[in-house]
Amino acid sequence: MDILAGLIQTAFLAGGVLALAALGEVLAERVGVVNLGVEGLIALGAMSAVATVVITPHPWLGFLVAMGVGLIAGMIFAVATVIIRANQVLCGLALTYMGMGLAATLGKPISGSPVSATFQDIHIPILSDLPFLGRAFFSHSLLVYLIFLVLPVALHILIFHTRHGLNMRAVGENPAAADAAGISVMKMRFWYVSLGSALAAGAGGYLTLVFVPSWSEGVVAGRGWIAVALVIFAGFRPINAVLAGLLFGFVTALGFVGQAHNWPIAASILSMLPYLGTMALMIVPVLAWQRMRRLMAAPDSLTVPYFRDQR
Amino acid sequence: MSYRLQRMPVAAPSVLFSARVLSVILALLTAAAVLALSGKDPIALGGKVLSSTFGSRFGLEDLGLLFSPLLYCGLAVAVGLRIGAWNIGAEGQFNLGAFAATGVALFVPGPAWLLVPLMALAGMAGGALWILIPTLAKAYADVSELITTLLMNFVALLLVYWVATGPWLDPSGMALATTARLSVSVPYVWGIVHWGLPVALMLAVGLAVMFAYTRWGYEVRIGGANPGAAAYAGMPVQRHLILVMLMSGAIAGLGGMMEVAGTVGRLQGGISNNYGYLGIMVAVLARAAPLGVIATAFFMAVILNGGIVLQSQGLTTHTVLAITGLILFYAAIADEVARYKLIPTTGKVTPKGAR
Repeated sequence: MDILAGLIQTAFLAGGVLALAALGEVLAERVGVVNLGVEGLIALGAMSAVATVVITPHPWLGFLVAMGVGLIAGMIFAVATVIIRANQVLCGLALTYMGMGLAATLGKPISGSPVSATFQDIHIPILSDLPFLGRAFFSHSLLVYLIFLVLPVALHILIFHTRHGLNMRAVGENPAAADAAGISVMKMRFWYVSLGSALAAGAGGYLTLVFVPSWSEGVVAGRGWIAVALVIFAGFRPINAVLAGLLFGFVTALGFVGQAHNWPIAASILSMLPYLGTMALMIVPVLAWQRMRRLMAAPDSLTVPYFRDQR
Repeated sequence: MSYRLQRMPVAAPSVLFSARVLSVILALLTAAAVLALSGKDPIALGGKVLSSTFGSRFGLEDLGLLFSPLLYCGLAVAVGLRIGAWNIGAEGQFNLGAFAATGVALFVPGPAWLLVPLMALAGMAGGALWILIPTLAKAYADVSELITTLLMNFVALLLVYWVATGPWLDPSGMALATTARLSVSVPYVWGIVHWGLPVALMLAVGLAVMFAYTRWGYEVRIGGANPGAAAYAGMPVQRHLILVMLMSGAIAGLGGMMEVAGTVGRLQGGISNNYGYLGIMVAVLARAAPLGVIATAFFMAVILNGGIVLQSQGLTTHTVLAITGLILFYAAIADEVARYKLIPTTGKVTPKGAR
């Protein structure tokens, strides 16, 4: 029982990075832009969060700086993909390279040193003291509740139950129709891509301020790409995306527990689990249920730039 | 006379070429500006890179060793792009090629003239195997190869790291994280430059000829440019897709074999050194043309060598990755901007308000 509680606790910790980054990607992809720069954005966010905390020991400030850096990087990406309408795949790869390279270069002086100020777990009276549930669900930092509870519900209501959300989806499905209805396609895409990038970089801040309290160049380890894959698996829905993030947090946690309990499997092999699991989740559902394809379909105009004179 | 901007369906090759060159120059200027802002002298650093790369035979040999893996990875990505597949997994296939070749060298006894070709075959098979699942998933379930090929990279890196530190660890106890030195190696052709480089150059020429002059190459190109039209014309698009993607993996795998058996001499974690990711840029800059890859891979080798030369100046190989990203970013923008043309507006311009 104790192992399971620890497993679930770690699943929330590890899954938070994927969940927050996936939420950001949901925002961008719902308005029709695929952002493959998540990996680089997480690296930038993770590095700048640690750099901030080194100067002033306030984790919230570090988290906000990470998001701010992500917002700026996202706006640069959005200028290229939304306004200039350059190829989204190339720009996304470029953003990943730039983010990883820049974070590793600038973060060299702080690489490896432990983070002095991290987010503390908050103690909820009664709930945190429950025997099993307390450890599994109610001994986390505030950010965990924000990522797994507040944000997904808020985004779900925004996207599926407001007029603004309907406009968002219209821009992603059929920008020409949205344009004709008086919605500014450019504005919508620009701001949601930028905001999504801010969340992705925030995931980086979460990574170094909550989960692994130190920065090193390999710390992101493909989490950005897993997040992009999870968004597809989650059918571009915020609540599903967070649940998928949690599932992968669980897979990661399984690897940790295996190492801690000296399972007769090499640590490297256990570390492969999240990547292999993501592969399986991308391929198996599509093969198993034909209906899934329609139900979980991508926005119709994903990766297609919008030219007003070509509709 | 007034002008207006008109977006063209395709850009002229000469315009595209100048746009690419311009984007590279702009990226280097941006990097220079950042260096200057951080208190370094970009002109002196650039001069140092050029003189230590081209100024001595030693520098040129180093360049050759970087040129070779970039050629393989660039060609691997370029071949995939020809049929419209993004092989982001050259990094992983490169690792698997090195892994498979090492397996042959460590466990198969035999003379070098037999082992080296066998290792090359094993390397190609390893690379092809590593892209097999993403290929089948794309061909039969329409799963984006962009993400699946990339995820396989992490698995490959972990696999190589695991064998190099565990089961295949150098038994002599001298090394902590590498296998024993391989008993056979790819023969040298010029100084420390081995046959991997000439083979890669021949491969580039061979691929260029195949794409330009064979029916297969023609069908692959059409299949990539317009799969619907190709299928309508009776071309086996799916079969071509599978074969081309496997070929792409095999080329990257061969690169890995050459790296482990020619350059490094033993298998260790991180043997791919980001070559797979840099290969994407090499292929994109060359517009997926095999002969163009020769030029862009050479250019990339100079940049990469520059990064190594400048390590003493506080730069890391990651700085090279950032500069690569910058070039890619400008190239993507330049591609789009190159399509616009200034067209003089002829005829009378109706004044505002007049009917």
